[in-house]
Amino acid sequence: MKEKICMIVFVLILGSTWTTALVVVDKYTRPYIEKYQAEKLRKSVLGAFGISYEGQDIEAVFSENVDVIEKGDKTIYRTKSGAIAFNITGSGSQGPISGVMALESDLKTIKGITIVSHVETPGLGDRVLEKKKLDTFKGKKIVPQLEVIVAGTAEKENEVQGITGATLTSKAFEKLINTESKEYISLVSEGE
Amino acid sequence: MLLKTVFGAKGYKVIKNGIWSEHPISSATLGICSALAVSNKVENAIAMSAGVVFVLLLTGVLISLLRKLIPSRVRIITYMITIASGVTIVDLALKAVVPTISEALGPYVGLIITNCIIMGRAEAFFVQNDTYHSILDAIANGLAYTYTLVTIAIIREILAFGTLLGFQILPGTWMSWAIMAAPAGAFFLLGTFLWVTRTLADIEPPGKG
Repeated sequence: MKEKICMIVFVLILGSTWTTALVVVDKYTRPYIEKYQAEKLRKSVLGAFGISYEGQDIEAVFSENVDVIEKGDKTIYRTKSGAIAFNITGSGSQGPISGVMALESDLKTIKGITIVSHVETPGLGDRVLEKKKLDTFKGKKIVPQLEVIVAGTAEKENEVQGITGATLTSKAFEKLINTESKEYISLVSEGE
Repeated sequence: MLLKTVFGAKGYKVIKNGIWSEHPISSATLGICSALAVSNKVENAIAMSAGVVFVLLLTGVLISLLRKLIPSRVRIITYMITIASGVTIVDLALKAVVPTISEALGPYVGLIITNCIIMGRAEAFFVQNDTYHSILDAIANGLAYTYTLVTIAIIREILAFGTLLGFQILPGTWMSWAIMAAPAGAFFLLGTFLWVTRTLADIEPPGKG
C-alpha cells in the first residue's frame, strides 16, 4: 500500500513539476516567438513580391511598399503596381504547409512563392519547398490550373517540373496552390 | 591506455560499448527509423545527430539524478514525460532566442523525441548508473549514432544527388540514382552497414545468443 501511494505521489509531483515548467517557459517565450513570427510573415510577403529588404528595416520597407487589405478573416497584401499576395495554407504529405504566394497584377501569373513553415521529410519532400525549386514557379500560369509534372517533362506555361522521390509533396503543393489561389482571386474580383 | 586512465576502467568500457561493441544501431537495432529517414543528405544527418546527442545528454543527466526516486512500475512514463517536456522546453527557448536554428531543426523535433535510442538508453543505462557514467554513455551512443548516419548520408547524397553537403562533386553528367534518396536505398545501405559492423565487432544477431 505504501509503495502504491509513493508511486502516485511521484507521478503527481513529476507531472505537475514539468507542467509548471512548461507553462512558465511558454509564458516567457511567447512574446518573442510572436514578434519573430510577425516579422517572418512580413519577410515572406516581401520575398514573394521580390522586394529586397536585406539590411533594411523590415517594418519600414513593408509599410512603404505593401497595403494590407482585410476581407473577413482573410488578409490580402497588395503592392502599388497591383500585384497581390496571400497566405497559402493546407496539408502537405507529412503535415501542414504554410507559405505566401504573390501573383502579378493580371492575377494569372505567379510572381513568387515563399514558405513560412512545413514539416515535410528532410531531403525527400522538402526539396519541393526549397528556394531553388520555388524559383521555377515564377512566371508560370495558374489558369486553367497549375500542374506539377512528376513523370515526364514540364512544357506548357502552366506546368512546373516536379521531383522524383517527392511525388506526394509535389502533388499536395500543387493542390494547395490551386485551391488557395482560386479562393483569393474570387475574393479580390468580387470586391471590385 | 590513455582513455582508461582519463575515464576510469568502467568509463572506458562504457565508451567502448557505446561506440563499438554495443553500438545502438547495429547491436541493439535502435534508432533504425530515423537512421533510414534522415540519412539522405549529410546536412540533415548532422542536424539530426546533434539533436539526438543533446537530448541523450539531457535525458542521461535527468534520469540518472532521479534514478533512486523513480518507482520501477512507472519508470517508462517518467522517461516519456521527462524527454517530451525537456525537448519542448528547449525547443521553445530556441524559438525565442535563436529562431533561425529552431527553424532549421523544426522538422526534426518530433523525430528526436520519439527516437528509440533515447528511451532505450534511459531504460538500459541511465536508470541504473550514476550521472558521470550516464553522461559518458550518452556521448558514446550519440557518437555511434552520428557516425552511422553521416556515413550512410555521405554515400546516399553522393549517389543520389552528385553532391556532398550541397556542393557538386560528381560531374554534371552524373546520372543521379534517385533510388538512393528513396527509402529503398536507405534500407539497402543500412543493411550493408549492419552486416559489416556486426561482422567486424563480432556481434551475434538477436535470437542466436
